[in-house]
Amino acid sequence: MSQTIENTAPTAVVVARPGSALTRSLIGGLVTSLPVLMVGLLILNFAPTYYTYLALGAFVNLIVVVGLQVFMGNSNIANLGHSAFVGLGAYGVAILSTPLAMKKLSIPNAPFGFATLQLDPVSSALIALIMVGIVAAVSGKVISRLSGVAATIVSLALLIIVHSVFLNWTNLFKGNQAFFGIPKVVGLPWMMVFSVVVIVLARLFKDSRWGLQLRASAQSPQAAAALGIDARGLRLMSWVLSALICGLAGVLYAYFAGTISPKLFYFQMIFNTLAMLILGGMATVTGAVTGVIVLSVGLEFIRSIESGVTIAGIQLPQLLGLSGVALGVVIVLCMAFRPSGISGRYEIDELLSRFFRRNAK
Amino acid sequence: MDYALQQLLNALAFGAEYSLVALGLAVVFSIMGLVNFAHGEIIGVSAYSVFLAAALGLTSPFVAVLLAVAAAALAAIAFERVAFRPVRYAPTTTGLLTAFGVSIVVQNLFMLLISPKPQSVSILNGLNQMWFFGAFAVSSLQVMELIVSGLTILALVLFLNRSTLGLAIRAASRDFATVRLMGIKANRVIATAFAISGALAGIAAVFIIARRGSVSPDLGFSLVLKAFVACVIGGFGSLAGAAAGGMLLGFIEVGLLVALPQEYGGFKDALTYVIIVALLVYRPEGLLGQRVELGDKEI
Repeated sequence: MSQTIENTAPTAVVVARPGSALTRSLIGGLVTSLPVLMVGLLILNFAPTYYTYLALGAFVNLIVVVGLQVFMGNSNIANLGHSAFVGLGAYGVAILSTPLAMKKLSIPNAPFGFATLQLDPVSSALIALIMVGIVAAVSGKVISRLSGVAATIVSLALLIIVHSVFLNWTNLFKGNQAFFGIPKVVGLPWMMVFSVVVIVLARLFKDSRWGLQLRASAQSPQAAAALGIDARGLRLMSWVLSALICGLAGVLYAYFAGTISPKLFYFQMIFNTLAMLILGGMATVTGAVTGVIVLSVGLEFIRSIESGVTIAGIQLPQLLGLSGVALGVVIVLCMAFRPSGISGRYEIDELLSRFFRRNAK
Repeated sequence: MDYALQQLLNALAFGAEYSLVALGLAVVFSIMGLVNFAHGEIIGVSAYSVFLAAALGLTSPFVAVLLAVAAAALAAIAFERVAFRPVRYAPTTTGLLTAFGVSIVVQNLFMLLISPKPQSVSILNGLNQMWFFGAFAVSSLQVMELIVSGLTILALVLFLNRSTLGLAIRAASRDFATVRLMGIKANRVIATAFAISGALAGIAAVFIIARRGSVSPDLGFSLVLKAFVACVIGGFGSLAGAAAGGMLLGFIEVGLLVALPQEYGGFKDALTYVIIVALLVYRPEGLLGQRVELGDKEI
């Protein structure tokens, strides 16, 4: 809250010129996505295939974390169910766009004529996102009625329900087995484009009238209600937007990996993305981006140790679980010493403009 | 008739187990507002200490039970000291995420230090027998589970109502600041609450080991998810609500298992959660929870 006061106070002219606040948060979003673009371009031009694959995974995580920030950062309700939407997006396009020949092998008994249906990747993605939106709207109706812990537990229930359906509706989702043969149509360039779009979108939502009202209602429900803010409606809105972004991440994942399985979209993904958001700081979009960059690099390093590494001629044993311990320790230490995360309360462009203003004086 | 009785006993035994674990969560939540996600890992620590003791040559099931409960209580106190004390006065979300972190660390430590695979523990298998009453055959474990849970809950109620420390705990759950002004030490009240919650988890751990005959890193996790649900449907923070919610969950699960045709059995979990969510739409504050008026503390 205080940041908006500090920001608007010296530039009161802003109020008189509608549209410039929009421009400012648009530019802010683009500044936030600059490091992402740079990393992407470097990898695109110089890195070997292995790193490109890693980067694609990291970009998917980035989109998920930004989606998570849209809900958690603004409403301050912990969401432990977002990977359900990633899974729904991924399975949605898998069922719609997989070539018929492949479907004959994998889901010959699919209901509703899905076994004989094949759409192009773009319309598959759109339909999958509409499905995600519907599920989000229904679950959001429940979540927005609750606050605090109860809302978190319902988000967890959603995750378990969706996972259980993936596992048990074997005719449609192939159960525990991997779903293969999804057309691989997304590469790094598209992934970068969508990442930038999503970052800017999250920033625009945060700075919008709705985002501001939602953040206000999260800080003081009574005061916000007294000002006539409809906290439920806003929570629902941010829940659906967050779900759609997560769904998009799932769609992109399916389109670059070509193979998906239910366990990808369960607690492991929740752990990873939540740790990234917490470490970076969930109050800002900058925080989401920072967390993804720092933890992606850190975890990749730990994973290389985990699989057994030779240091100075000594072969270390396999250390399964090391990356999990590191993730948990990051969360615990962060909560104890810096609950607001690396980036704290300010977006990167806000920090930069303060820095330059101070130096100009 | 036999079948109906058997299913009733199933429901009661499951319900009793969920109630035990849910009460452990509720005791801690009502006092310090902490959603203890790491409660399942307290069960895990308890189970792994029995596993290690058995591996070192301990043969007495009686000692194993004592060890399980003691280890769980100590683990709970240790978690509080190391991880939860720094976030004691932080918002609920901070505490919840800290506990989430602790849960991940401990689960992965089991994987790293012992093994990602389930390890067999046979020391408590003797608890799991069939008892015959004329024509009826019942599992001794289920009967004991029901009796022990009942006695434990009774002991907890007596402790909370009759002892000074129990009174302090109940008072602290209403207004912690005033309790401290009365000269009660905050650390002692909170440590006691964690010890109680740990002991409840330890008792649950004994039954889990006896039933499964093995331990695995994610042993307590899914059970605690269910216990959360029990707490939420009962009304978070209400002890009676947690116990009632646990029982209700046991009945819903067994009811679904009986009602669903064999080939849809896998959907039991999904349907259970759908029913829970539907209950919450009807009563967002939980069955025994209190409606929060504006101006009251947000739950």
